Amino acid sequence: MKKLLCLNINDKEYEVAVEPNQTLVDLIRYELGLTGTKKGCEMGDCGSCTVIMDGKPVNSCLVLAMQADGKKITTIEGVETDDGLHPIQKSFVEKGAIQCGFCSPGMILSGSALLERNPKPDEDDIRKAISGNLCRCTGYQKIVEAIKSVNE
Amino acid sequence: MLLPKFDFHAPATTEEACQMLTELGKNAKLIAGGTDLMVNMKHRLISPEHLISISGIDELTKLDSSDSVIKIGACFTVADLAESEEIGKKLSALRTGARALGSPLVRNLATIGGNIGTARPAADIPPSLMVYGAKAVLKSSTGERTVSLDKFFRGPGLTEIQANEILTEIQAETPPPYAGAGYINLGIRKAQDCNLVNVASFVALDGPDGIIKDARIVMGCVGPIHLRAPSAEKLLIGEKPSEAIFAKAGAAASGDCTPIDDFRGSAAYKKAMVEVLTRRTLGLAYDEAKYRG
Amino acid sequence: MSEYNVINSRASRIDTPDKSTGRAVFIDDMSMPGMLYGALLQSPLASAKILSIDTSAAENLPGVKAVVTAKEAGLVKYGVSPARYDETLFCHDKVRYVGDEIAAVAATDLETAMEAVSLIKVEYEELPLLLTIDDAMAEGAPVLHEKYPGNVCAEVHQEFGDVEAGFKESDLIKTQTFRNKRQDAAFIEPQGCLARYDPSSGNLTLHSSTQVPHYVQRTLAMVLKLPVGKVRVVKPYVGAGFGIKAAANPMELSACLLSMKTGKPVKMNYSREQVFMFGRARHQFTHTMTTGVKKDGTLMALKHECYLDGGAYSSFGIATVYYAGSLLGGPYKLPNMKYDGYRIYTNKPACGAQRGHGGVAARACWEQQLDIISEELGMDPLEFRLKNMMVTGDITCNDLNMSSLGMRECIDAIKEGAGWDAKKGRLPKGKGIGMACGFFVSGAGYPIYRSDTYHGTVVIKLTEDGGTALVYTASAEIGQGSDTTFAMIAAEALGILLENVRLESGDTDFGVDLGAYSSRQTLMTGHATKEAAEDVKRQVLEVLSEELKIPAEDMDIKNAAIVFKKEKPDFSAMRTRYIKEHRGWSDNPAEDDELSFREASRIAFLARGSIVGTGKYKPHELGGKFKGAAVGTSPAYGCSAQIVEVSVDEETGKILIEKVTDAHDCGRAINRTSVEGQMEGSVSMGLGEAMYEEVKFDGKGRVINSDLAEYKIPTSLDMPPVEPIIVESNEPNGPFGAKEVGEGAIMPTIPAILNAVYDAIGVRIRELPLTPERVYMSIREKEKE
Repeated sequence: MKKLLCLNINDKEYEVAVEPNQTLVDLIRYELGLTGTKKGCEMGDCGSCTVIMDGKPVNSCLVLAMQADGKKITTIEGVETDDGLHPIQKSFVEKGAIQCGFCSPGMILSGSALLERNPKPDEDDIRKAISGNLCRCTGYQKIVEAIKSVNE
Repeated sequence: MLLPKFDFHAPATTEEACQMLTELGKNAKLIAGGTDLMVNMKHRLISPEHLISISGIDELTKLDSSDSVIKIGACFTVADLAESEEIGKKLSALRTGARALGSPLVRNLATIGGNIGTARPAADIPPSLMVYGAKAVLKSSTGERTVSLDKFFRGPGLTEIQANEILTEIQAETPPPYAGAGYINLGIRKAQDCNLVNVASFVALDGPDGIIKDARIVMGCVGPIHLRAPSAEKLLIGEKPSEAIFAKAGAAASGDCTPIDDFRGSAAYKKAMVEVLTRRTLGLAYDEAKYRG
Repeated sequence: MSEYNVINSRASRIDTPDKSTGRAVFIDDMSMPGMLYGALLQSPLASAKILSIDTSAAENLPGVKAVVTAKEAGLVKYGVSPARYDETLFCHDKVRYVGDEIAAVAATDLETAMEAVSLIKVEYEELPLLLTIDDAMAEGAPVLHEKYPGNVCAEVHQEFGDVEAGFKESDLIKTQTFRNKRQDAAFIEPQGCLARYDPSSGNLTLHSSTQVPHYVQRTLAMVLKLPVGKVRVVKPYVGAGFGIKAAANPMELSACLLSMKTGKPVKMNYSREQVFMFGRARHQFTHTMTTGVKKDGTLMALKHECYLDGGAYSSFGIATVYYAGSLLGGPYKLPNMKYDGYRIYTNKPACGAQRGHGGVAARACWEQQLDIISEELGMDPLEFRLKNMMVTGDITCNDLNMSSLGMRECIDAIKEGAGWDAKKGRLPKGKGIGMACGFFVSGAGYPIYRSDTYHGTVVIKLTEDGGTALVYTASAEIGQGSDTTFAMIAAEALGILLENVRLESGDTDFGVDLGAYSSRQTLMTGHATKEAAEDVKRQVLEVLSEELKIPAEDMDIKNAAIVFKKEKPDFSAMRTRYIKEHRGWSDNPAEDDELSFREASRIAFLARGSIVGTGKYKPHELGGKFKGAAVGTSPAYGCSAQIVEVSVDEETGKILIEKVTDAHDCGRAINRTSVEGQMEGSVSMGLGEAMYEEVKFDGKGRVINSDLAEYKIPTSLDMPPVEPIIVESNEPNGPFGAKEVGEGAIMPTIPAILNAVYDAIGVRIRELPLTPERVYMSIREKEKE
């Protein structure tokens, strides 16, 4: 039986009825139409479903929608600013940190969560912070450069 | 991957959770971070009819290190553990273990209670906790009991926790002066890995240049549960710390473990690695002990 | 300063703003009104007879709209190469691997579709399992496919020159065997598709995460017996492919069939587990090589035998087994080469093409052997390679033409970049440095099916207002940056700015393009793009010539403005005409502005109607006349050299890759950032294959590690710093001199790691991956010796 749940996504309040066995990623993608959050493995191994929940990046495939009740969530759609691309998005574009783009939403969210708590991370901080986000295209180097250069 | 159908409950207090568990019995499973449970449910290894979420119960997410006994709520996340300065100061090997677990994304969800309660022989958190002599607090509607982690694990996925009980807290004594610990996990990758072998060691000296008065070694991935290395521990006690005695202890620990061949590695390799990691973690433990006056 | 205005720069990719915001649409982001969800029934057994299939319970489940089996699908054989069509959409008589498709269901939601699949009853009779090459080649072993006795899917026997004579002239002859492991491409986006059949028109449109819309279109038409003109394949953004998405898959065919049965759109996705089940990635190769050299280091002969564990079907395998031999023809001068290759059927998922198709394990084996030889000869491995290196204009013993080859420049670049001379032979025990080279095709010389088809066609239309060039290509952007490459080529060739170009790709309605495989698009689609742009430019200049009465050859277009090479004519009448059309507009040209491309192309439209330019490309006839000569031919070859530095923990066997210096000759870099991206990505995939990756099976033929936790690709923490050095040789057969970088860049990584590990610990390891246990055991064995 569906249950009611309230959550805040990208500064917008949602009240939705969900099946208890629905995951947060499926709620976000298929019910709310925020398809920027990707599904690559659904087992918490690849990080392409990363969202920021109460300030922390998590695998939304491992979170039940019901567990997000009352939480504040940022998806990739919530990163852009009124002036267009957020500096981290600009940096990803300019540094060539995006190839196929499937990991990019998760990477950008893990990167921006890091910059939130550590505005000038060194290379090691960055590599650690994105170590749950797999990328098969870039070898990570340009992603690391992109995150590093945001506040340089 | 779709999850099997179930009903979801989110009690506000531990008492309420205990009550639910008593009523729903074996058809219910607790969920905290869910990083292990969700994967098992997607694979249909388990299909509980009810999930009781305890991650929203405030008292279970607290860390209290004001006393000589450090109390860590079962839902304290591994990420918080990995970043906690208090833990780093008092239980450094535990923090090392927390930092080794999974990935930052998993650590932000995973809880200390979950990493213990799932009883995986390769888990990163139990070895350090065990060398610190930690205990688990188990609560039910009818009462509360405390179980030493040495006696907590029963087999892969099996623990002392009864169907009506909730693991609510982990307790560990602040180590005495001139005591230290070290943890090393060996895997294939540097993140998101399942360990091939992991070892934690603890030594307590009777002074800055003293002899070893207490030693504990816990080995992971080399038995159905995390194992103590009794003959290695015995050999260390009363001795002056040295590379030579640590090497001897490593060899002894290798004899204390009972690994099997599996797709991750051969028993022979794991035994050999227990020897290396035991020696190295003893070195780390001693390095810390010397200066922790 | 570059002589170019657009290419050879570090322009931001045109697709990445959308990819950075989540707006880019991938296949699972699509939906259609009334859409159904499909699911596959796949065999749980690796080898069994099908006795019966009962779909009645599934059909009766509420919400189920169609159930299809071989009865509905028919038994049309298909595959990758027409020479080895050995698959049917669904199994009807037997199953050959765990995952073989038996039926498909369409239902109103995924949960119902999955439940319906579980209700289909199949009676099996288990057959003996053949899980290894030894099992499959054993005397009296059962056969997977009746047509291929001995389970030999394909074999190759080639000799160029006289190998025995070469050995007679050699002073040193070495033989080694080397084995890699079955790999998975582990792209992050699982395959998915959305099929829509319109019963009223008979048109079928398939949206799919494919790298080859063209081949998928042909396969759909053939298997589903539809007129090819009614079949359209469209590719949204694709989360990479690396070769595995380079052919039609059974899910795509099933979705189309289900849509035809129901008249509704049908969506299907592979789970990560199904990605592993489907396979089609790198084979396991077992190479045995014997190489002869003279005392002075001159390479004389190579005798090479190779066995490929192919899995249950051919897929790309017939090409793979040829590539495994032919790609050793270069980049060294090798007068005599003999190759015997065998691809063997086993009851496992089929293997296919993956980045560096066929050549990666062969290169690893040989480059390690070359290191062994140079050491015995007392030569520096780098000097040894330089001594034997081909140069531009050389032709290999198997007729591959090195129309440009910056191999020497690559070696010089890494030597200096890594500080080789200061390190080689001077590092403490446990630390090592190693190098290797590699080369690869810039596009297969021939299409997969025999045809005189153009390999790529491009249409460029100028918007009628004159402001923008629209580029239409059926090529496949799968992450490598091809859309940006072609937009840049179009802008450069037409003389306009990158922002004046809008590009649409990946749709079979836009033309023919063989797609993203064999590192072909930059060279081939690039040529077609350049030709189309030049065609458009010619037409615009022709109109200007007529209007201004000056010869077209006295004009050019640069930076979106008309350049008059001689005297500047009076074009004020033309400008007045343009401005009159745009009364009240704020962006009209000022009186003394140069004549803009926008004005010129508007005038061209007014004179001739829509300005459309077309371009096409197919390679000239390539290669020798011997059997299999086509595989390995290419209009051009990219090449690369790498130096890897490692440290090895000898007590645990754990290797730390500390640094990679990587030089690649891509002819001419169209986009320098994208070239580096391919180089860095290749190193990462090569490093994964060398160090961690192996698809493992249990005794029943089931993949044990069908997830990204236990199938381990490198994480950000595992990747060392990579120093990419671009070498530009200016390829005469490439557009603006460009050639490949996407696959050749992976070639040196594995052997450079192997050679560096040897340098660190003095142990040669001949099996991948280099897990701590394998390294540890190799060290202990060496100690025993």
